[in-house]
Amino acid sequence: MSEPKIKPEIMRMSWGPQHPMSGQTRVLLDVDGEKVHKIIADLGFTHRGIEKILENRTLLGGIIPVDRMAMVDSANISIGYVTAADKAYGLEVPERANWIRSLVCEMSRINSHLYAFGLQAEATGYFPAVFLWTTVDREILLDLFEELTGARWSFNFFLPGGVHKDLPEGFKENVIKGVQYLRRRFKDYWAAIVENYMFEIRCNNVAILEPKDALRLGATGPSLRGSGIDIDMRKDEPYAAYGDLDWEVITEDACDVMARTKVRFHEIGQSLNMMEQIAKEIPEGPIKVRFSPFMRAPEGEYYTRVETGRGELGIHMFTDGTTNPCRVKINPPSLRNMYVFERLAELNEMTVADIPVVINSIDPWYLDSDR
Amino acid sequence: MVNTLTTMRTLSMVNLGLTVADIPALILEFLTLNSKPIMQVLLMPGLAFILGFAIIAVWFERKFLARAMLRVGPYYCGGRSGVLQVFADFIKLFLKEMIFPDSVDWFFFALMPVMLSTIPSLALVLIPFDANWVLWDIGGLSLPMFLAIMGIAPLMAIFAGWSSNNKYSFIGAWRVAYMYISGEIPIIICSAAVAIMAGSFNLVKIVEAQSNGWFFIPQFLGFIIFFLGVLIQAERTPFDIPVAEVELVFGWRTEFSGILFGFTMMAEYVMFQAWTLLFITLYLGGYGGPILFGNIVGSHIFWLLAKFVVLIVFIILLRTVFPRPKIEQMIKFGWNYLTPLALLNLFIVLGLKLWGIY
Repeated sequence: MSEPKIKPEIMRMSWGPQHPMSGQTRVLLDVDGEKVHKIIADLGFTHRGIEKILENRTLLGGIIPVDRMAMVDSANISIGYVTAADKAYGLEVPERANWIRSLVCEMSRINSHLYAFGLQAEATGYFPAVFLWTTVDREILLDLFEELTGARWSFNFFLPGGVHKDLPEGFKENVIKGVQYLRRRFKDYWAAIVENYMFEIRCNNVAILEPKDALRLGATGPSLRGSGIDIDMRKDEPYAAYGDLDWEVITEDACDVMARTKVRFHEIGQSLNMMEQIAKEIPEGPIKVRFSPFMRAPEGEYYTRVETGRGELGIHMFTDGTTNPCRVKINPPSLRNMYVFERLAELNEMTVADIPVVINSIDPWYLDSDR
Repeated sequence: MVNTLTTMRTLSMVNLGLTVADIPALILEFLTLNSKPIMQVLLMPGLAFILGFAIIAVWFERKFLARAMLRVGPYYCGGRSGVLQVFADFIKLFLKEMIFPDSVDWFFFALMPVMLSTIPSLALVLIPFDANWVLWDIGGLSLPMFLAIMGIAPLMAIFAGWSSNNKYSFIGAWRVAYMYISGEIPIIICSAAVAIMAGSFNLVKIVEAQSNGWFFIPQFLGFIIFFLGVLIQAERTPFDIPVAEVELVFGWRTEFSGILFGFTMMAEYVMFQAWTLLFITLYLGGYGGPILFGNIVGSHIFWLLAKFVVLIVFIILLRTVFPRPKIEQMIKFGWNYLTPLALLNLFIVLGLKLWGIY
């Protein structure tokens, strides 16, 4: 990356990739003392060429690399690809399979938001205790994943035209038990951390993203809904079973870091409600349609949008009548939000201490943005 | 003074025709004559106390915080309790290569961590463990001397960070300076209030003035402010802003490696220890307490250590529950609240003194 010349009184420091909090990216900061004048996000450290890999795989085999785009949120990412594959094959997904897909997606979303919340607490300066508490709570979800799909991480559970397995015996009761436990935990987190005075002074009125700027810069996910705009793909273009479930889109009007944190928190509540509803009301029926892995998809172009934990994921798939897609373009949410993060320094006054808090309020996942 | 004169006389006897065979006897005489200061240097406010505290506190902090984080903590070194882990880490740090980056000012870079861990420990010699157990008894100058010695430490941290020639260290070093100007002044004003109430700058007299009631009752405001000041000066959570890990890797200590890093860690605990002991001396009755088993010196040392342990556990507990404020919020807090309230506390004390209530 070329580095343009800077004024002598401004120091350019590199926040990452060798940094305890940065993750697999580099953020260049132009600082004058503590004040940050400019942010340059240098992405691409973990580029794996997933789009190219997908061209060399069948539509079914493509689920595996897509699943690894964001490990913590793999179900929500892969459902975008699977929905596109459904469209390409022209398969009608049974209702029960759709409900199971929604269940796994919501569990994955809680998983992702829990991780984001733990990092957010650590970025404000909590000793890593909170991060480890959320990690321990995640075990509940991972156990449920293991029981249902056979894997704790990167379960390639969705198939074009359905899901791999039906709910095992006693799974519904375990889901309800887990939901009750997590509700109790989130009540504690809310009282102990989100309403902590020190947490509030770190998060309130930091990195304000006005609604018009959020739309103009293309923010998505909790970053957009934290600015008071109710765009959620699950409501706007319902996929899986979201059209049949009772839930609402969460928005906050404060537009700051705290608003984004609260959006995530309330979304976890909505996801828990949905999990409970699915466990209680899931319809009977088949879970997949007959489907051959070497089926040829007819020539065509398909675009699906799904709501992942980090925002809207777009999959643009071109098929040319062979077993493989001839091009898959992935529009990941983290990439869009990283552009917003760069611009936030121009819209607000920010200091070095704000950088970890703000970047975690955006909640980027660099493996996802680099593809 | 008498001891020193005796020693000088003893040594001059060597020139008066004594043989080599007399040397062990002379050493023995020297040791018996100076047994108390030697014990003080080696044991109580001295080497064993400082090193022992650093070792036990590091171990306790790691183990205790691990429990708070639902982990086990040090486990394999020295049985399941992991007591020997600190020694193992120390040996590792001692044997590791010291990395001097090309661009550092190596003189200050090598000197400052050593100075930083030794100079604050000089302040410990002023703390009274008993009226007769003060290593360096300078009477009415002891409180100002303590504050003067501790005032040097942040300056050395600034030098250490600046000489590292690292961007994180540089920002961390200036954060130390900001912390210093917002935390030191309330502490000095509060100490002045205590000195006025006790009628002396002598730490022994301050402790003796508290024999009827500890000063934290009439000066509750000062007690709270001084406590926050201790957290600020010792860089303890929630005020560990200069080494904020998620922002500045490790602040002004980023470039240190090997035993130099060990010295900076040591410095942190020595400062922590010195400030906490001063806090106890000023507000919590110092070494005062009921006499146990008729042993006056022993029970005084015991009471000081008991208060010290309780306070240390409380301060370490704070690490689990508080996030860290920003440096500008910290400065605002120091100048808008701590300093005016410390002055208010001073005026309250003057009023109490003037009307003869206290």
